[in-house]
Amino acid sequence: MFGENLMAHRDMPQKIRRSWLLVPASSSELIATAHQSGADVVVLDLVELVPQADKPGARETIEGSIEKVKAGGAEVFVQVDPELIYADLRASVWPGLTGIVIARMESPSQVEEAHELLDRLEEERGLLPNSLEIVAALETAQGNHQGFEIATASSRVWGLTLGRADLVMDLRPEPSGEIHLMQYLMQRLITLSNAAGVVPLGAWWREPDRGLLATPENTYTAGFRGRAIGVKGSMCITEEQVVALNRAFTPTDFEVGAAGSLLDAYREGTAQGIAAVKWNERLIDRGAALQAQALIDLGAACSLRNETKEAALEGRLVPAP
Amino acid sequence: MEAKHQLYWGMLEVGLTNGPKMEHRLGDGSTSSPRTVVDRMHGDGYKAYQGALMPQGNGKRMVRRSGLTMPVVTPRFVDNAWKRGCDFINLDLEDSVPQRLKGYARGLIKDAIPNVSKGGAEAFTRINHDLVEADLEAIIWPGLSKVNYPKAEHAWEIEKLDRIITRLERERGIRPGTVEIGANIETAVGVANAHEIAAASPRVKEFGGATGYDMSRDLGVEMFVGFDQFVYGKGETELAARALNQEVHTAPFTANVTGSVSDPDRAYQEAEAARKCGFRVGGGLHPNVVDPQNRGFTPTEEEVAQAQILLEQYRKLVNSGESWTEINGLIIDQHEAARAEELLDWHQLCQERDRGKAEAVARVEEEAG
Repeated sequence: MFGENLMAHRDMPQKIRRSWLLVPASSSELIATAHQSGADVVVLDLVELVPQADKPGARETIEGSIEKVKAGGAEVFVQVDPELIYADLRASVWPGLTGIVIARMESPSQVEEAHELLDRLEEERGLLPNSLEIVAALETAQGNHQGFEIATASSRVWGLTLGRADLVMDLRPEPSGEIHLMQYLMQRLITLSNAAGVVPLGAWWREPDRGLLATPENTYTAGFRGRAIGVKGSMCITEEQVVALNRAFTPTDFEVGAAGSLLDAYREGTAQGIAAVKWNERLIDRGAALQAQALIDLGAACSLRNETKEAALEGRLVPAP
Repeated sequence: MEAKHQLYWGMLEVGLTNGPKMEHRLGDGSTSSPRTVVDRMHGDGYKAYQGALMPQGNGKRMVRRSGLTMPVVTPRFVDNAWKRGCDFINLDLEDSVPQRLKGYARGLIKDAIPNVSKGGAEAFTRINHDLVEADLEAIIWPGLSKVNYPKAEHAWEIEKLDRIITRLERERGIRPGTVEIGANIETAVGVANAHEIAAASPRVKEFGGATGYDMSRDLGVEMFVGFDQFVYGKGETELAARALNQEVHTAPFTANVTGSVSDPDRAYQEAEAARKCGFRVGGGLHPNVVDPQNRGFTPTEEEVAQAQILLEQYRKLVNSGESWTEINGLIIDQHEAARAEELLDWHQLCQERDRGKAEAVARVEEEAG
């Protein structure tokens, strides 16, 4: 009875997307090695990392690049420019694509436009209808102001991220080391994402990390702190950062062990008719038990994700994530 | 005295003398923003600076590094204000004026405007939340740059101010749209309606805040603590200002547990921290903080030199077709270039402002013999 209740929230398998490696769609070298990075998601970027003049050429290569970067079991997104959405999406929608990241989203009408275009392209290119997902990057003040409307403008919206808001909005370090406004923007994004039923992405970057330029150590800290405040994975630009993010967004063995012990104590208590159980220094109840179960589930889902990626690298057949 | 002021303001109207309004007219009238330069470097279709701090479409950025808020009923403050070196003077009709003197105080504003601005400062007036009609009738005169409206809570309040100011500008020979509205957010209701308030009139050009004594009282929080007790309200108002392309009027948190308003070192550090975070607007209550704020909000020569080097490197980078590089630990890319360009623009505006004030002060001293 009790066990069923704790499982009740697990009606959907979790998508484990801890690390999102941004790779310039124009760089054949980086695309050739991306499958070895261990990224949960590879994002082929058509926006900021590709000089304007190289964009037409880069678009031609997307179809082939999707296959290449998937070889390590990663899911593939393409990051597109809302002002060039027709050209970018026509170049990107091919079998094997999981979704798109739309940079610098500012309004729900841009989401609707992308949604309709994806409808058409899915049909033309033989993809399942409504299969492609959207991650909206809220990188401007206008985008953040309209965040909830953007998140709810299409059933395809899977997640929200601040993307490179610190660069685009020119947010700079405060004397405390926090990047100005980021704590507010992150909390806002996390709250409205959950209100809209989508997944918040990001990491809690601090001085001296600028944009996505951070050491592996600082990336780990940013990811770990990010997980603590509710984001589920983060963009990055190097393979070292991928390793750090995968680790940061995976519950540690210590956490999983503690959650198991908490659940045991709770079960023992409820078996005796007590629902508020003393455990170490804490008094735990159903909420704490649900949280512990969720952490154990997340740990298990992360392990499974790691296994499927290893299997893919070794060329074994694996079910889609 | 009266005649001299009329002559002075007459000269301002035709642009014959430097004064507070000259800031609008300096240069060739074109708007200069980081984006223009970066766009030029990248060619078409390249947006480097969306939503960044530089307000766009509002013309030239105002230089308001330092300013003193003073009760208009205290002659020794008002008569010495022009010597203080402020970028603006805020003549108060609100909390620093006793209730029984409100009528007398508003009658002083018309003469105080030219008096406090003859050293080159802009003149603002803070009115009373509950005395809008009477206060506005008494204060909208040539030379006034801005009306500060305390405890703004609803868009309709700002719309009402706009209507009255529009009428008074027309009646009193002031160019339409001259007088700005400072919509001061000092209550929880104001925070909840921040975006609508900021968007209520094009006269709102700077926006932010949600801190200070009134906010503390409204929320029932401590004023002088070692952590930022206003994260949410400051965030809401800043996001509104940025979404509307307005100048953000805020500052990064620095702990002030004593409540000191006159410590010059502290004022300098706060101003410098605010400037490095990208903010440009200062102001205070004590003459001690004026010079530290002017210095703290002005880029140093070293920063200017570094910005020039960075832009030079960035031009090379663009020619090479790369989008970023690192030189001696410094990142060079479109974002850093935009920031460097903004720093140089701001430095130039500060210099022009300082020159304008020095000339105005010299003129007053010359007239006095």
